[in-house]
Amino acid sequence: MDIDSFLRDPLSRRRFFHMSGVSVAGGSAVFLAACGSDDPTSRVPTGPDESDQADVEILNGALDLELMAVAAYKRAAALMTGDVLEIGKTFLAQEQEHADGLSAAIKDAGGMPNRAKSSYEFPELRSQTDALKFAVDLENTAIAAYIDALPKLSQGDLRATAAAIVTNEAEHAAVLLDALGRDPLPGAFVTGSAA
Amino acid sequence: MEHVVITDGDAGTAAIAAFERDRRALLRRGFTLGGAAIAASSIPLLWSIRNAFAGAGSDDPILASAINLERVAVIAYGVVIDSGLLSPALLRLARRLRAHEQAHADALTTALTDLGGSPPQAPKGVAAVDKVVKGLGDVRSQADVVNFAIELETAAVAAYYDAHAKLVEARLLQIGASIMASEGQHLVVLRKAARKDPVPNAFETGAS
Repeated sequence: MDIDSFLRDPLSRRRFFHMSGVSVAGGSAVFLAACGSDDPTSRVPTGPDESDQADVEILNGALDLELMAVAAYKRAAALMTGDVLEIGKTFLAQEQEHADGLSAAIKDAGGMPNRAKSSYEFPELRSQTDALKFAVDLENTAIAAYIDALPKLSQGDLRATAAAIVTNEAEHAAVLLDALGRDPLPGAFVTGSAA
Repeated sequence: MEHVVITDGDAGTAAIAAFERDRRALLRRGFTLGGAAIAASSIPLLWSIRNAFAGAGSDDPILASAINLERVAVIAYGVVIDSGLLSPALLRLARRLRAHEQAHADALTTALTDLGGSPPQAPKGVAAVDKVVKGLGDVRSQADVVNFAIELETAAVAAYYDAHAKLVEARLLQIGASIMASEGQHLVVLRKAARKDPVPNAFETGAS
């Protein structure tokens, strides 16, 4: 499937992100399995172990997404040249930093970090423009997933770190949109888009 | 780091101490969210909110500070728009950024009033901007303006980053993240205008 058809087809996108360990269902909870409640403010863990375990599940959901993004940027970089290639390499390194940070946080909370899949079935990318469009979609999906997951994290420092990652992904989206000749500032509220 | 949660009954001295510690950490970094609002009156605000909205948590003063910050940004962009220093392209950009900051202020004000709080007093003039980021009165060129705007947006990102460790309401956390991400996108455009690396850090915390 080519990238434009992929981006237009919600079912393909959902299937792809689901297979990559990411599921953003209709804008609702992306890592809902970790919580058992739609209302994070009502979730009162009974003890540190329980909240740690819930955090680990949420963080592992985010880690799956980052590992997929690393693989995606590796694939996309093969189609990029010049300044765009430099952008791709920088963003690849930053997604890897997110993955490393999340893995460390998961270990701190007593959990086992998920590992990258051996392969990801990306949509067909034929050109640099295809690669940029796909990267914008990835970043928007990540933004939506993090914003959805953020209130469910029990620790303030984890929420702050998630916000710092969301902001970085939003910066990526702005640079990628600019490289596509599109408006880098699409709105005053950056919410991404659900897969 | 634990966030401060004020519930029924007496506020724990540990929670107040933690809040003070966070506040001091902010002050050490030379920036307070919304300037004097948190620095001067944080504890009395916490107490009054506990009394008025027992169990409602400590989000209201953070929101009030964020509203102040966004209004200050609106003032600052207004000053640079009227400065006559900007090229047509940067003038258009400054107008868009001001509109975004106004939209942020409006959304936060709605959130605060929904929680039963009252919006803070409106900041006025360059003096109010100085409490957040100094130097607006000294801009003499387009390059100065862009560098000032980068500092302002960086300060905003830092404030939202810190706020995320303290806010407890899910909706506020999500609004805050979508605004913080918007400020990050502003930084990309401004850094490009200043020929700086548009995305220098994998974790955009507003550390400068």
